[in-house]
Amino acid sequence: MVGGRDNHTSQQRRMKMIGCYVTGILPRPKKLVEATRAYERRKISEEELEKAFKEATIKAIETQLSAELSHISDGMLKWQDLLRPFTENLEGIKAGALARWFNNNTFYRKPIVQGEIRHKKAIVTELAYIEHLPRSVPWKAILPAPYTLTRLSENKFYKNERDLMFSYAEVLKAEIESLAKKGFQYVQLSDPALIYNPLKEPISRDVLADVKEALKIVVKNGNVRTCLQTFFADFSQILPDVLDFPVDDLGIDLYETSLEKLKEYDFNKGVALGLVDARSSLIEDENELFTVAEELIESIYPSKIHKVFICPNCDLEFLPWERAEEKMRVISRLTKRLKVGLGVHE
Amino acid sequence: MNKLFPTQEIGSLAKPAWRVKGYRGETLSESEIAEAVEWGQRLGIVGVDELVKILKKGERTQDDRRAILEWSARFVIRFFENAGLDIVFDGEQWRSEMYEHVIRNVEGFKFLGYVKSFDYRYFNKAACVSKPKYVKPFYVEEFAFTRKNTDREVKVPFTGPYTLVDWTFNEYYEKRLSGKNKDFKQRKLEARREFLFDLIREVVRPEISGLVEAGAEWIQIDEPAATTNPSAEEMELFVEAFNETVKGFNCIFSLHNCYSNYEVLAKYAAELRNCSQLALEFANRDSRQRGTGEVRVGYRELKLFEDYGFEGKYGLGVIDVHTDFIEPPELVRDRILHAAKIVGDPSRIYVSTDCGLRTRTWDVSFAKLKNMVLGAELARKALA
Repeated sequence: MVGGRDNHTSQQRRMKMIGCYVTGILPRPKKLVEATRAYERRKISEEELEKAFKEATIKAIETQLSAELSHISDGMLKWQDLLRPFTENLEGIKAGALARWFNNNTFYRKPIVQGEIRHKKAIVTELAYIEHLPRSVPWKAILPAPYTLTRLSENKFYKNERDLMFSYAEVLKAEIESLAKKGFQYVQLSDPALIYNPLKEPISRDVLADVKEALKIVVKNGNVRTCLQTFFADFSQILPDVLDFPVDDLGIDLYETSLEKLKEYDFNKGVALGLVDARSSLIEDENELFTVAEELIESIYPSKIHKVFICPNCDLEFLPWERAEEKMRVISRLTKRLKVGLGVHE
Repeated sequence: MNKLFPTQEIGSLAKPAWRVKGYRGETLSESEIAEAVEWGQRLGIVGVDELVKILKKGERTQDDRRAILEWSARFVIRFFENAGLDIVFDGEQWRSEMYEHVIRNVEGFKFLGYVKSFDYRYFNKAACVSKPKYVKPFYVEEFAFTRKNTDREVKVPFTGPYTLVDWTFNEYYEKRLSGKNKDFKQRKLEARREFLFDLIREVVRPEISGLVEAGAEWIQIDEPAATTNPSAEEMELFVEAFNETVKGFNCIFSLHNCYSNYEVLAKYAAELRNCSQLALEFANRDSRQRGTGEVRVGYRELKLFEDYGFEGKYGLGVIDVHTDFIEPPELVRDRILHAAKIVGDPSRIYVSTDCGLRTRTWDVSFAKLKNMVLGAELARKALA
């Protein structure tokens, strides 16, 4: 257990903020899907494709704004997979064959590490449609975490995975610095590999200690709020070690995590609760989600409530656009209800 | 089959432009029509003039569209026969695609739109919105036509229920269980299970029953999603689903799975009841060097299936369907002989493509299949 329970009532426990945001790549709206297919068949030019990406990005941003999400991302519509901008832009890496993206019917290109990794230029800020992000709302960027980057790569150069992970950590540090300079206030590090391991034992405490050290490098100079977002498996397996990780918030996939096990711990940092299922097209029952969220928050924050974010459990790109849009509205409505229910004072 | 190393394709062959556009009612170019004539001559098909008449029509009736399907199926049956295959089908010419064909012919599903598969490739994903209901046969007519048009052994490719469920959103069953189990993970698994076994009972088994009544003797269950979720509980669910699917029918069943985690599948293969053959992809993982032994890196996992006690036959993938490289007969021979040595009993090897050839041109596919047949012959001679 971390932190001691005291006798504060829920009324006395105040949280600074409850927010909501998306946690990954958004699906491409139908018009953009058609444009990318036309481009593949050489029926439209690169300029026309770029125009379609820009229009769809504006749509993705406007949808988040109209849903009143507390942090806005550009939707990452150009990202072919979570790793691809790094696979294609880092020196020392080339894009390999397609591989399955965890337990999904979706594929990514494996980064083949064939030399020393060098960060030649800022990658994500170059790719992001910063000019379309509104100044009125904090911006959120999403990057792969160093451990997931490492586990999903084929290492043909570094002595071991640990060395590769620390090399990736330096790259991510530079990326976060560049994102902060451009005005991003929140950076999520997506780390599904940290918990997804259906064939082997959960990650060892030694490796978790290495991950913690790598994350220290990643967040060292970034003047941003950070979240380590886990998904596709049970977050509770990395408790309590993860509570000491050098990030502000911890993201949890509640469709894969045992709620009972979570409730056994007192949290000392913020959480991003993946309460909306991005791998199911069914629109959730908000009353039920409200009850689950309220019970969970009460339980993991017995004394001081930290920041809470309501979010999808993983990238919404597993859904067609219309369902993703509806799910963004669900997290927004749920957040509003929780603010009232938990007596949040901003 | 008494012959050693019988040859087969897995299922699909590319649909020619005249089949796709002709069926849609679109106007065909002269070169597209000429392609039909040329292949008709190459394959020795009689009466192609009738097909050309239909293809040249400005407007096509429902009967015309049906005739185009039949012509296309006839072409592919001859295509496989002329290549020398022992076991044939129609290259799935009657089907739009392995997933959509089934979902569109069953009640209880609604297509929601495109989701990304990778890069700029997407698939049209459906949701199960009510209990699946069998309304009409979706493979039987195609099988009956094939059966009538060949004297060779026929194998019917059948999209498996586990894959259909894995590729579909499960709205109906998740909604039914909403609020009933507070553990979301357990609830989703329970909903998935209910969906899977309802689909088997209500749709898959009635269709198999129809096929068997129509004379089908061999059905290949295609389960590309078999190891997508490699956890023990999911793999056990897959095995249970296969066993429930094939239970009690007087028919031979086999399983096709490709581009998957064979370390996982091998562990469970011996638990598949009434599975006479595993048709697996190996050529894609293999080197192109001649010889047996160490150079056959792509066939390492075959031994795992043996070690875990699978006793059935293997549909041994010796042709890579993702490349235009035409495997020389000697390479095919070496792959077969290498596998025969691992398995110990050559009669357990059927010679096969890794998967359906639908992404290759007919020219490439024909050359590949011809060499596969020649390679099998060389392997027979080597063991004679």
